[in-house]
Amino acid sequence: MPGRQLTSEEYARLAGSDALIETEWAPCRAACPVHADVRAYLDLIARGRFREALDVIREVLPFPGACGRICHHPCEQECRRNDVDQPAAIRDLKRFVAERDYPEGQKFEKPLQERDKVAVVGAGPSGLTAALDLARLGYRPTVFDRGEAGGGLLRTAVPAYRLPRKVLAADVDAIVAQGVELRLNVEVGGAFQLDDLRSQGFKAVVIAVGLSKSRGLPIPGADAAGVELALPFLAAADSAGPGLAGKSVVVIGGGNVAVDVARTAVRLGAGRVQMACLENEKEQPAWSWERHEAAEEGVATLHRLGPKQVLVRDGRVAGAEFKAVTEVFDGNGRFNPKYDENRLTTLDCDVVVFAIGQEADLALVKGTDVKADERGRLVFDRSTSRTSAADVFACGEVVTGPGSAVEAVASGHRAARAVHQFLSGLPIDLGESLPPKIDKLAPATAQRLVKAARAEMPAVPAAERKANFGQFELGLSEAAAMKEARRCMSCASGPFVLTDKCAACLTCRRVCPFEIPEVKEIADISSALCQGCGICAAECPANAIVMAGYGPDAVRKSVDAALASLDPKGLRLVIFTCGHHAPAARWGGSDPARPAVSAKEVFLPSMSRLSAADIMYAFEAGAGGVIVLECESGTCRYPTVELRLRKRYEQARQLLIEAGVAPERLALHVGAADNQEAAFAAIALMAERVTRRAQGWAPRGQAAKPQTAEEKSK
Amino acid sequence: MSKFRDSLASGRFTFTGEIGPPKGTNVEPVLEEAVHYLKDCCAAVNVTDIQTAVMRMSSLAVCRMLVERGIEPVLQMVTRDRNRLALQSDLLGAAALGVENVLALTGDHTTMGDHKEAKPVYDLDSVGLLQTMRKLESGTDLGRTMKGEPNQLDGAPKFFKGCVVTPCAEEVEPQIIKLEKKVAAGAEFVQTQAVYDPRAFEKFMKSIGHIKVPVMVGIVLLKNAGMAKYMNANVPGVVVPKEITARLAAADKKELKKVSVQIAGELIRDMRGCCQGAHIMPLGWDKEIPRVIEASGA
Amino acid sequence: MIVAERKPLEEIRRNLAGRKKVLVLGCGGCVTVCLTGGERQADMLASQLRTAAKVAGEPVEVTVRTPTRQCDREFIDTLKADVEAADAVVSLACGVGVQLMAEVYETKPVLPAVNTTFMGAHSGPGTWTENCRGCGQCVLAETGGVCPVARCAKSLINGACGGTNKGKCEVSRDIDCAWYLIYKRLKARGDLSFLRAEREPLDWGMSSSGTRRTLVHAEVNDQAHRRGAEGAEGAAERK
Ligand SMILES: Cc1cc2nc3c(=O)[nH]c(=O)nc-3n(C[C@H](O)[C@H](O)[C@H](O)COP(=O)(O)OP(=O)(O)OC[C@H]3O[C@@H](n4cnc5c(N)ncnc54)[C@H](O)[C@@H]3O)c2cc1C
Ligand code: SF4
Ligand code: SF4
Repeated sequence: MPGRQLTSEEYARLAGSDALIETEWAPCRAACPVHADVRAYLDLIARGRFREALDVIREVLPFPGACGRICHHPCEQECRRNDVDQPAAIRDLKRFVAERDYPEGQKFEKPLQERDKVAVVGAGPSGLTAALDLARLGYRPTVFDRGEAGGGLLRTAVPAYRLPRKVLAADVDAIVAQGVELRLNVEVGGAFQLDDLRSQGFKAVVIAVGLSKSRGLPIPGADAAGVELALPFLAAADSAGPGLAGKSVVVIGGGNVAVDVARTAVRLGAGRVQMACLENEKEQPAWSWERHEAAEEGVATLHRLGPKQVLVRDGRVAGAEFKAVTEVFDGNGRFNPKYDENRLTTLDCDVVVFAIGQEADLALVKGTDVKADERGRLVFDRSTSRTSAADVFACGEVVTGPGSAVEAVASGHRAARAVHQFLSGLPIDLGESLPPKIDKLAPATAQRLVKAARAEMPAVPAAERKANFGQFELGLSEAAAMKEARRCMSCASGPFVLTDKCAACLTCRRVCPFEIPEVKEIADISSALCQGCGICAAECPANAIVMAGYGPDAVRKSVDAALASLDPKGLRLVIFTCGHHAPAARWGGSDPARPAVSAKEVFLPSMSRLSAADIMYAFEAGAGGVIVLECESGTCRYPTVELRLRKRYEQARQLLIEAGVAPERLALHVGAADNQEAAFAAIALMAERVTRRAQGWAPRGQAAKPQTAEEKSK
Repeated sequence: MSKFRDSLASGRFTFTGEIGPPKGTNVEPVLEEAVHYLKDCCAAVNVTDIQTAVMRMSSLAVCRMLVERGIEPVLQMVTRDRNRLALQSDLLGAAALGVENVLALTGDHTTMGDHKEAKPVYDLDSVGLLQTMRKLESGTDLGRTMKGEPNQLDGAPKFFKGCVVTPCAEEVEPQIIKLEKKVAAGAEFVQTQAVYDPRAFEKFMKSIGHIKVPVMVGIVLLKNAGMAKYMNANVPGVVVPKEITARLAAADKKELKKVSVQIAGELIRDMRGCCQGAHIMPLGWDKEIPRVIEASGA
Repeated sequence: MIVAERKPLEEIRRNLAGRKKVLVLGCGGCVTVCLTGGERQADMLASQLRTAAKVAGEPVEVTVRTPTRQCDREFIDTLKADVEAADAVVSLACGVGVQLMAEVYETKPVLPAVNTTFMGAHSGPGTWTENCRGCGQCVLAETGGVCPVARCAKSLINGACGGTNKGKCEVSRDIDCAWYLIYKRLKARGDLSFLRAEREPLDWGMSSSGTRRTLVHAEVNDQAHRRGAEGAEGAAERK
């Protein structure tokens, strides 16, 4: 992918807007079904701005709590850190910000809702998302669900040890708080018909009923006592108590649902739990981490077994018989299992649970203008999210088929857009042109990156957790979360080269720790390779490199703001430090140990962004002193920053001393950015030194020259 | 006219000495020493030209004073300080003042001396200076008339032209090539950089066997072991063997001068077979020159 | 490329002699490339001037502009409004740019902020080294691509002087002896014939020691075309 270039004029037009940072996407964001701005919220977490990070997530994902626990995180699969060490723990970080208590609370504002009423049937992730979007757009959505709480399958099927009910409830409550009405225990299609919604004034209807029926198999013995279906089994698990004590359970199926069933059975006290699936280990569809956790809890997985019959004794399950599977997918990769009827396996057991798939319950549309096809699926136009009735839309698994919660959310967003366009009298157009995503890391670049181990999610040991439905993943500590967030490489946040300014001087190429800029007629900086450290931007003599997310005057603006917040009459200190460094972000606040000096931090995304000119600017803007806090050696996510920073500091220092600034007004402290005590000491020291020789700066004509000499002689 | 030329031409092993003009007008002491110690044993005496770029009295002036005292001078002429106009002008002046022997040198860079701010000239290099002398001898100069023809001199000078070479340079081939060029440009005698290693010198002399001009080996008196070490480490193309340094180091303080003279004498004795003379640079120990010559057995 | 070095602030301020409205002028050409006079350095100089003025209690107003080049009138002409608004111009361009600025804006003091030092190449991180002196009679064809005029401290043309020492120049151990390099290069090419050839002294009249030099390309110079018959195309000449 070629580098990104702009003219100064184009840049002036775009500066400050999101256009630059949105030019290309990091692969995580592209992979996320709702395209959450992962890089942005990880960056905020790294800076300790947790609440803002959560807001970024909430913009597109109304289930941060739930998804922070159970999302299948395609973002992580695509994370470019995969090629360096391990992906950033994006899901765990989402959970971290979602479950945190915020001093400012979790207040939500109800938007102004003056537009049409819209009915949503089904309070699963897709239906609630569609409703929330519509509420935000000013509609008045009502969500009907036959259940006793919102959340859909996340509530009734996803086991509580993975997703505690109150976490989901909090997500649902937040949605309700933002203007979504939830009407529970209402089955649409029963006493209350689809057409009743129309007559009650709902101008559009969104069907989001999911896949609520588990499929069974018509094999001999399938109706015996002790044969269960996954969804009812899971739904009952909460109340079933230790109903399986000592029993032997065979789960038929190899997907994620089957794994949940098996692990639930373990928690219900089953003596032995075996999963029997068609697929071999490689083909098995369940996520590898889930399978691993199940195995830890004692679940055995048997492969290439096709159910033949349930063995029944006295009307009760006695075992299950399987035929060998010779092939699951045909030459075209289609699911088309073949069996060897002669090779049979029998498993003794007391309970058999079918976990082989779900299907829709479309009773609600029977006899209405919303049509279903001969295979029992809703007639649905993917490009408009519309059913066969003009005012009825659909989203979620009922139309997409089984998937994940975040995919259901994405589908809900589409339905909401469609409804909005429909009710606005516009043609429905759901076409999206997404920014291109950047390529994978080049191996040569990956090699140069600083390696950093991924934060490990603390978990309850298998032996302990298998006894109950308590949440087994414990969540990251604040320190671990911030450290983990710093592992994000801020992909695609790299620079634009201003074509009219670049002098092809090669400086960028020479200072880039990854040797990424190519300089032909002018610099060409591949956004796919660039790590966004901004070292080049701070060194370019032509000011021809601008960082997408952090413009050239960003530091200056922060300096102005910092100074404006301090009493102009006293000594004002500006402290440059890495906002990306955990404790630094905290000591910015009010701490009783903080010296009583008028000092303000300017947090940078990385110290690599601080140029000599920026340091000089602080004095120009009126700072009485500048402290540069460098992170502890070796902690920066970018190589060479330590050295660069010191050189820039030295250059600025020389130039400032030349301009008459007394040397004691400048300080660089190594390792202090993550050491609150050292940072406070630095502030106190500068204040003391400056006051002790309170000449030189403010009073007229008291040039710092003599001080410089004095300094030298000292 | 040059006795020095005749001495070399005769095949006799010939000695030259060297003096440096004073920094100031007090020129008598150096002249007196020359008369006392060099006049009799040296065929000619080199007069250095603002040596190591440390400003001193003009070489030409001192040369003339030697002539007046019956000593034949060798006018050292560096190209550092004068452009081709001044060099030619001074060459004509030298001829008129009876100074015939001229040693062409490039000269140490201005930044080596005591006037580091001076503008170095180097209009010509040493080869260019030799070419220039030949031109003057032929009755023309380096310039041209308005018509583009060579300027004609009213009276042409005659010089005995010399040049230098560093026999013990690490890279000897370029030294030889440059020497060939100097000879082609008219050099008639060669004085070498200081040599302390007779075997290396012999080898060098063999390698310039095709160059048919007399070569005088350079001898710098080593005043003590410290100086020997310094020369070895810092002076380009000078290699002082360990044994010599050791001899100086072992010498009794009172005996130093004697040992030094002895060493120089032995060096000349060892090398006289393969060259035509020795150029002794006493660095202030002018008095010792006769004793060196004596020690060499010449 | 032309390489220049920032002057000390003190000298610049002395030359400014208390003028209140200053236009600091970077140059997008050579001095940007050698990290002395680009927009960034212009910004830093402006910052220094403001800060120094503040320290002295005599505030100045400093604006910064950085044209593509200061050695072409067309680029300089675009600065008119800014120059007129200023009491003085401080230029970070090489002497060429400063002079042209001074010529175009005759009544305005145009002060140099750099010392123009040499023509050279990038020779290491943040390092530039002189390679050419514009002698007007390039000899590189014969010297293995190493210029003895610029790189030999004495501009010798017939080989090393007696000061050459272990590959280094007598002037400093940090400087390679140009003639050592030439010898090595030619030797590696297996042809020492240039080294052997006796060279006539250089014609310094063609060099910067001579008078001001002018280059005329007749194909784009109408006046020169009329004289075209004399065959002076593309020739460097002296006026
Ligand atoms: C066991 C299991 C584990 C899973 N684990 C994960 C996981 O780890 N990660 C992940 O991302 N996804 C997981 N999923 C998938 C995820 O739960 C679904 O993708 C998601 O819930 C689908 O959302 P939906 O809105 O389409 O429908 P649903 O969640 O199915 O919601 C449909 C809602 O409609 C209601 N409804 C249905 N018919 C009517 C009617 N006629 N009238 C009124 N209300 C009605 C239902 O009560 C239900 O509340 C899992 C699914 C299962 C079954
Ligand atoms: S220096 Fe940093 S921002 Fe610039 S190209 Fe290299 S990685 Fe990207
Ligand atoms: S030592 Fe080499 S580079 Fe230096 S002046 Fe002599 S010949 Fe030139």
